[in-house]
Amino acid sequence: MEETIYIRMRHRVQIRPNDTVLLKDIAQIIAHERIHQDLQNLKVYTFKAQDNNIIIIDVMEVIEKITRAFNSVEVQAIGPSQSIIEVIYQKKRMSVPFFVLTWLLLFFGSALAIIYFHEDVSMQATQQKIYTIITGRVEARPLIFQIPYSIGLGLGMILFFNHVFRKRLNDEPSPLEVEMFNYQQDLDRYVSLTENKESMKRIDGH
Amino acid sequence: MVIKILFVIFVGLAGGIAVGSGFVAFLAVLGIIPRLTQLTKTMKMIIWYQWAVVAGALIGGMGSLRDPAIFFPSLTLIPLGLAGGIFVGAMAAALTEVLNVFPILAKRIGIEDKIVVLMMAFVFGKIFGSLYQWLYLVGR
Repeated sequence: MEETIYIRMRHRVQIRPNDTVLLKDIAQIIAHERIHQDLQNLKVYTFKAQDNNIIIIDVMEVIEKITRAFNSVEVQAIGPSQSIIEVIYQKKRMSVPFFVLTWLLLFFGSALAIIYFHEDVSMQATQQKIYTIITGRVEARPLIFQIPYSIGLGLGMILFFNHVFRKRLNDEPSPLEVEMFNYQQDLDRYVSLTENKESMKRIDGH
Repeated sequence: MVIKILFVIFVGLAGGIAVGSGFVAFLAVLGIIPRLTQLTKTMKMIIWYQWAVVAGALIGGMGSLRDPAIFFPSLTLIPLGLAGGIFVGAMAAALTEVLNVFPILAKRIGIEDKIVVLMMAFVFGKIFGSLYQWLYLVGR
């Protein structure tokens, strides 16, 4: 008799290193009571030392494991077709200096942005104004502000795209990589719709 | 007289709301704050970053409208300049990201794996251009 098992992969799962990932960790399961328990404790993945901190488990892998362990079952997969497993090496502690730095960065950045807006978007007038506010003196060329500002411009860009810290502590992609991916997806969607003659049908047949 | 004053207050408030909400909306579209929290792993403190932006905008607004002076040594300006530059640089980077500049350019000239080199050109161009303006062009 064929039995139907319904599984729904969880989107994102966190594990500790050296954990064994069971089916119940990465998926919701509906099955007959008789095999439910065994199904829950089915080993899906064992952590390996050389693993990155992100592992993707595809639903096909899971179905293969289930059909190998239980014969005469039919697996119905619902929802996401893969799970993202995130290995947490140590409890993330919040770094206070980073927080303070980011806070100050946003604070002074917004202050500068508003002064810039009020000064009729003239960066030179903005810098002269800030010089006067801080030191109380008037200076036509506040180089002590302008040179760090110029260096900061480049730093900010690098920071945003995160390319200096190439030895990334985690495998999270940089915004640039995500952006390249999105652009490629847009192109793929465009060609798959426009190059396929069957995808659109017009009244006059052209 | 009272009506005049009330009207002026109302107009001022309305203008402030328009500028403030525009500023915040612009920041939200560019996504600088999520990016910074992701880099520093401080997602939980995001509410404080929100207040940093609000406080910064308020202090900046007061500074530009009321001409105060706090008589600090001019060395204080170095970190301020750096912070301002990083903020503007991150904004510029976010803007190029929104506009898909890098992906299109890299695909056109076929150097998708050397995109870092392309980005460094932007970075050094910004630093050089800015230094050139403040050190040479302005004083000419």
